[in-house]
Amino acid sequence: MIGHQLALIKREIWEHRSIYVTPIAIAVIVSLVSLAGMVTVSAFDKEVNMALFGASNIAGDAERQAALTVFFLGTSWVFLFALAILTTFYTLDSLYAERKDKSILFWRSLPITDAETVVSKLLTAVFVLPLVTVAAIIVTHLVNLVITTGWVMVKGGNAAHLIWGSVPLFDNWAAALIVTVASAVWMSPLIGWFLFVSAFTKRSPLLMAFMPLIIVPIIEWIFFRTKFFASAVFGRGEMIPLFEEMDFEHFFDEERMTVHEEVVSLLAHIDLGKFLLTPSVWAGVVVCGLFAAAAIYVRRYRDES
Amino acid sequence: MTSLVSARGVSKQYGKICAVDNVSFDIEKGKIMGLIGPNGAGKTTLLKAVLGLTDCEGELSVLGLDPFKQRKELMQNICFIADVAVLPRWIRVSQLLDFVESTHPNFSREKAEALLANTKVNTRRDSRVRELSKGMVTQLHLAIIAAIDARLLVLDEPTLGLDIIFRKEFYGNLLSDYFDEERTILVTTHQVEEIENILTDIMFINEGRIIFDASMDSLGEDYVELLTSGEKADQARNLGPIGEREVFGKKIMLFEKPDRASLETLGELHTPSVADLFVAKVKGATA
Repeated sequence: MIGHQLALIKREIWEHRSIYVTPIAIAVIVSLVSLAGMVTVSAFDKEVNMALFGASNIAGDAERQAALTVFFLGTSWVFLFALAILTTFYTLDSLYAERKDKSILFWRSLPITDAETVVSKLLTAVFVLPLVTVAAIIVTHLVNLVITTGWVMVKGGNAAHLIWGSVPLFDNWAAALIVTVASAVWMSPLIGWFLFVSAFTKRSPLLMAFMPLIIVPIIEWIFFRTKFFASAVFGRGEMIPLFEEMDFEHFFDEERMTVHEEVVSLLAHIDLGKFLLTPSVWAGVVVCGLFAAAAIYVRRYRDES
Repeated sequence: MTSLVSARGVSKQYGKICAVDNVSFDIEKGKIMGLIGPNGAGKTTLLKAVLGLTDCEGELSVLGLDPFKQRKELMQNICFIADVAVLPRWIRVSQLLDFVESTHPNFSREKAEALLANTKVNTRRDSRVRELSKGMVTQLHLAIIAAIDARLLVLDEPTLGLDIIFRKEFYGNLLSDYFDEERTILVTTHQVEEIENILTDIMFINEGRIIFDASMDSLGEDYVELLTSGEKADQARNLGPIGEREVFGKKIMLFEKPDRASLETLGELHTPSVADLFVAKVKGATA
């Protein structure tokens, strides 16, 4: 059973190379942009000639740590955004492509159940994609730190202190891991829906997946003047019950145009216990499970002729 | 009797269309059964039922299992090639072998490697399926299937779209690499003439019904083709041929359970080809 799952998940990665190509591409782009940023900034202003991470003009260790953390946070968000798009396209393709190219008949000629196959695709979407993304985030951070170290050293700065001594690396990475995987679990109802659409639709899974998400709220508004569906689906992304209460003012110090020192630890803002104890998290998991079961049913019982 | 596949009153409806209509047959161990029928006759539907890909009415038992309900168990002992195009196009040859090896308990990697060593695929382990020629894809698929120790092999138009050399090679390899008395093959094809010499048994299906089911050995005894012309043709026609056609001004008539002694006086006797028998049977069934 586990052997089958490993083989099936490996197959998903073989088939959907975008699972690792996309994060690598983003890692390269983010690294190039930060390098270009450092060159540009230092060309315009001597004050920040040790830009960006090691910026000598940021006074105090805590402030510098905060600045670095925010930079890390920013790059992580780019990966998270890409992950959302990647997951959408992966899940919509996962049970559709095999029917389109007729390879489903080959896969079904092997002694693997439809449940095992659908579960492997679900596990890939909810865990493998986020984990690959976190790995790419970590590599990107390291590459950027190395580039910056080189930059600071060329400028005659003390990289060991200014850079490596200032970065709460593991705090940052642990936060990235928790946020990324928790986001995937939190959004799993949508993942389940996409898998189900991918299993049944005869054409254009993207259209079939999003049309109901747009039409149902309109119908709901026309008949009931309510927005439950829209807020449940589109609002969900913003409502992840993972963070401590935190507002923007608390986060950003407008007077000094910098972030507050307490932002330094991202982990301190994350409340995993709260996440795991929130009923709507588990309700989402159940909805995802129902859609996955429907996808298994369709793959198992629909006649492909 | 060791009946691997046993069907009793099997039917399958798609809406109002009856694709398979009350079909009964047996396939015994060690046989190569050809299922022959025109397009839309119900061949593929019947094979799907045997493979558990579709449910059906009536009693159907394959290797003693209910194919639709016990698919996973069934797939450990059954193999099928539904069409040459079904191997996923994106996969690499080496990946495909790895995948089957890790998911199929009866697959022998050594045997597959040995079979591939004699083919053009051998030097293309890193190629994707879409980069291989159609013939090579079939060689690859057959090598995988032949390396699986399965009791029943189901082939649905396995050589469609292949050139004659690959088609001959395919069936040659099928006999030499795959077939033995422990194994059984069920095959459908349009190109009857290419497989008739390897079949042990044959079934004709038309409009969802089995209209003919016999062993190849009995064909030569039960059917005869008479080549005749002129007056003799009229006499022969009175003996009730099941089919008649004309070639170069000569009449060719097909007789079932023939009275050879009287037919011999009317012209030359031949053993009919499966294709001619098929045409006569289908015409007779629809007339």
